[in-house]
Amino acid sequence: MKEKESLHPAIHELKDHLWKGKISRREFMRFATLLGVSAFSASQMAGMVWPRNAMAAQPKRGGILKIAGQVHKITHPAQFSWVAPTQIARQVAEYLTFTDGKNITHPYLLKNWNASEDLKTWTLNLRRGIKWNNGDEFTADDVVFTFNQWMNKDVGSSMLGLVGKYLDITGVEKVDDYQVKLHLKIPEIAVPEHLFHYPAIVLNHRAFEGDFIKAPVGTGPYTLERYLPGERALVKRRNDYWQKGADGKPLPYMDGMEFIDMGTEMSPQIAALKAGEVDMIDLGDVAGVDVFQAVRNDSNIQILPVTSASTRVLRMRVDLKPWDDNRVRTALKICQHHEKLLKLVYFDEGLQGQDFHVYQHHPEYCEKPIPKYDPQRAKQLLKDAGYPNGIDVNLAVGTWPDVVRYAEVLKQDAAPAGMRINIQTMPTSQYWEKWTEVDLGITPWMHRPIGTMVLNLAYINDDTGKPVPWNETRWSDPEFSRLLKEANGLINVDERRKVFCKLEDIQQERGSIGIPYWRNAWYVMRQKVKNAHGVPPLYITFNEAWLES
Amino acid sequence: MAKFIVRRILLLLLTMVLVSMAVFLITESSPGNVARNVLGAFVTPEQEASFLAQVGLDKPVYIRYFYWLFGSDWAAESKIDMPIKRITTEDGFEEWWAVRDDGALVRWKLEGEDLYAIARLESTGTTTRYKNNERWATDADGKSVFWGIDDQNHAVRWEKGADQKVWTFIVGTGWMETTGGPMEYIPLNKGFIRGDPGVSFRTGRPVSKSIWIRLRNSLVLAGTAFVIVMPLALFLGMIAGLKEGSIRDRVLSIGGMMFSVTPEFATGIFLILIMAVWLKLVPGATVIGESAPWKRPDMLILPVLTLTLIELGYILRITRASMVEVMKSPYIRTAYLKGLPYWRIVFKHAIRNALMAPITVIMLHVNWLMGGIVIVEVVFGYPGLGKYLLDSAMFKDINALEAGAMILVTVAVLTQLVADIVYTFLNPRIRYG
Repeated sequence: MKEKESLHPAIHELKDHLWKGKISRREFMRFATLLGVSAFSASQMAGMVWPRNAMAAQPKRGGILKIAGQVHKITHPAQFSWVAPTQIARQVAEYLTFTDGKNITHPYLLKNWNASEDLKTWTLNLRRGIKWNNGDEFTADDVVFTFNQWMNKDVGSSMLGLVGKYLDITGVEKVDDYQVKLHLKIPEIAVPEHLFHYPAIVLNHRAFEGDFIKAPVGTGPYTLERYLPGERALVKRRNDYWQKGADGKPLPYMDGMEFIDMGTEMSPQIAALKAGEVDMIDLGDVAGVDVFQAVRNDSNIQILPVTSASTRVLRMRVDLKPWDDNRVRTALKICQHHEKLLKLVYFDEGLQGQDFHVYQHHPEYCEKPIPKYDPQRAKQLLKDAGYPNGIDVNLAVGTWPDVVRYAEVLKQDAAPAGMRINIQTMPTSQYWEKWTEVDLGITPWMHRPIGTMVLNLAYINDDTGKPVPWNETRWSDPEFSRLLKEANGLINVDERRKVFCKLEDIQQERGSIGIPYWRNAWYVMRQKVKNAHGVPPLYITFNEAWLES
Repeated sequence: MAKFIVRRILLLLLTMVLVSMAVFLITESSPGNVARNVLGAFVTPEQEASFLAQVGLDKPVYIRYFYWLFGSDWAAESKIDMPIKRITTEDGFEEWWAVRDDGALVRWKLEGEDLYAIARLESTGTTTRYKNNERWATDADGKSVFWGIDDQNHAVRWEKGADQKVWTFIVGTGWMETTGGPMEYIPLNKGFIRGDPGVSFRTGRPVSKSIWIRLRNSLVLAGTAFVIVMPLALFLGMIAGLKEGSIRDRVLSIGGMMFSVTPEFATGIFLILIMAVWLKLVPGATVIGESAPWKRPDMLILPVLTLTLIELGYILRITRASMVEVMKSPYIRTAYLKGLPYWRIVFKHAIRNALMAPITVIMLHVNWLMGGIVIVEVVFGYPGLGKYLLDSAMFKDINALEAGAMILVTVAVLTQLVADIVYTFLNPRIRYG
């Protein structure tokens, strides 16, 4: 270590917990790195062997990776809503941090960061010597400019909702050319993870004028050559990227990537992958289980599995009848046979859920049993709620194959309880128009790396008492909100987990959702793609990958 | 004959107008939220409202139709009080600028409460930026108003001193609470009549750039299938009809029926499975990107084969039935009795009458081909017009839909015209005056 690292006081507490067996090594790594300890130091503290980047073969340079993926219209990266645009944009421009497949956040464009003891002051130190692809130097002005874009109401970025909760634009301070200080309104531990949220691309303050396609200036390993929405995009490697490969020359190894928009139907994309016309299918926005089933036995295709907190949420609007009655909600929830659902709907590729929106691999997860399938009790609950002859309900679903299967299995399993479900299928684009409006529906939710992120996005009210924009069920509970606020500021993992035990109980008892399973996700590509590392949201982060001819 | 053709062309124009209105109304009343489709499901209500205003969807239907047909640039010109023109930059982007008195191109930006003009002199190519607050005009309510053009190709009405306060970040000054902001947008286009189908909401690029390529691709696919199927089907139908009841006839009839009854997506998927995945003879999906389809003819084999099989059966059976009927007619019997050679009877006398029914069907099929080809395109991932329209319909992309509808209407009416003219050669009894 060239500089003296001033350790955050909480690190000692964390180490203590680790040695006493209260937290796992993985959790220690995660929280220690969040507080600014380098991954190497943290692994030393945890007594782990630092894994060397062992590569079985020498990387080969050259080649263009062809990806079947949608090419959407984009203007401002902070406005991204689909994952597909970020797959292309992130090859050209980058983020301040990087959350890897093990949920550990590393500094990326940042060299390191420090958090104050009360978690309200964060000091971000930038890496030096990084050049934008138009020759400019990467400095703190770019970071401040990017933060301002997120906070600008006219831009309308989802970063505003995520970061704006704890940070005002007046709290972003440029200290010098390579240091930025964030002064938070309330303590927040997950700041580095938020900086890796997919719309959080860092922009060049001199070149960016609102349209990324017109001025595709970034720090990434490729430059944007062509971008035709609905058709095709092409990125080509640049020669002065800041990361170096194993041979000492700058990355990337590949000459470029080509994204071909083949629409949303999977069969032509699978056929193209099998024939070798494309090397990979981008599954970031879709459930890949049908693709997985189709190619799992093909020896020319490799599959990289990632466990993810991606799921399908059975949600009920608590401000509409009959779902305002918790007995009816519970009745429906216990009509789910979790094990059966995972096996039938997602071919056992994933983990069973427990009807609360916290994933087993989230660090704060508190162990709870899986709710049992109990149609008799459901029937009794319906009777108590005033429906002795059962009840007819409409379930809105988009035509994602696994969502439809889930609905069908649920319909069958709910019938003995007297709950008669009428399934209304509609094209996925139509579902997205009404996902916050329907009274009963199944909404796909994407992976988030930590437990608090989704709970803050979807299960609370804002300061004026209105449900936050993504609170599709309009559910909120004063005790839940209070506990969640408390959890947001706790770095002590043990304490956090205690709070989460209570949060999970509340959601199970009186919440508005059912979660049957957490689904696995896969990268699907041909064997010639080597050294590709995946992350749960299925971002294409292949800086160190190469192509075998 | 000439009068007839002219009348038909006028009818074509009338049909196009009526269809364009119908498409507009249908798209208007169909469910679908354009903002959510384009920007993603998780947009905030402010983003949604801003997007809808910028693409002009906050205006009533008849105004939007009017702008689509006749263009909005003259409406914008009258509000801005300066001539405006559209240029294409060397990178291929289209930009709208206002023209200053001295011939320079001008656009505006609002920063906080200050109006900045960006002027480009075409002669030198230099761009200058200067404060332009003298252009603010005061309206009846005492607010300062200015109509100008922004850098996203809209005509914008900016207002200062409005009731709502807004936080804006101004480079060099920092955050300021200001009262200025864009209040109304008119997206600029030249109008369909002047050849500008507008900009697609979905891709953000001009529709004309995408649609001609897609049309060309579909025409290649449909044309190839057409050229292969028609002669083959007519020939097979004829030989089936000549010997009614023979083995030849039965095999061709039943085979034809099987193929015409199987839906395209089933035939397509079976062909992909058998030919591409199991036997690995030909590619199973078309991955051509932007290059012309004829550069990779091997990719066309399966889609063309799928289309061919469907049409083959249909045309074959119609031809066969028609042939059978003609061969039974009295004048053919007379020709036999006269002692004419068999092939002369068939080719000189029977065919021309037998072909009337199939030609009608073939011409109707061209219409089906242009629209129904969408299924084959989706199954194979072929970048054609059908798939483009399907995606546009799912997104409620009105400009692309209208352009596509106009193309299809033109194709339909013109093929009818061609069919009618061909009849006059086949059947001398038909005359148009």
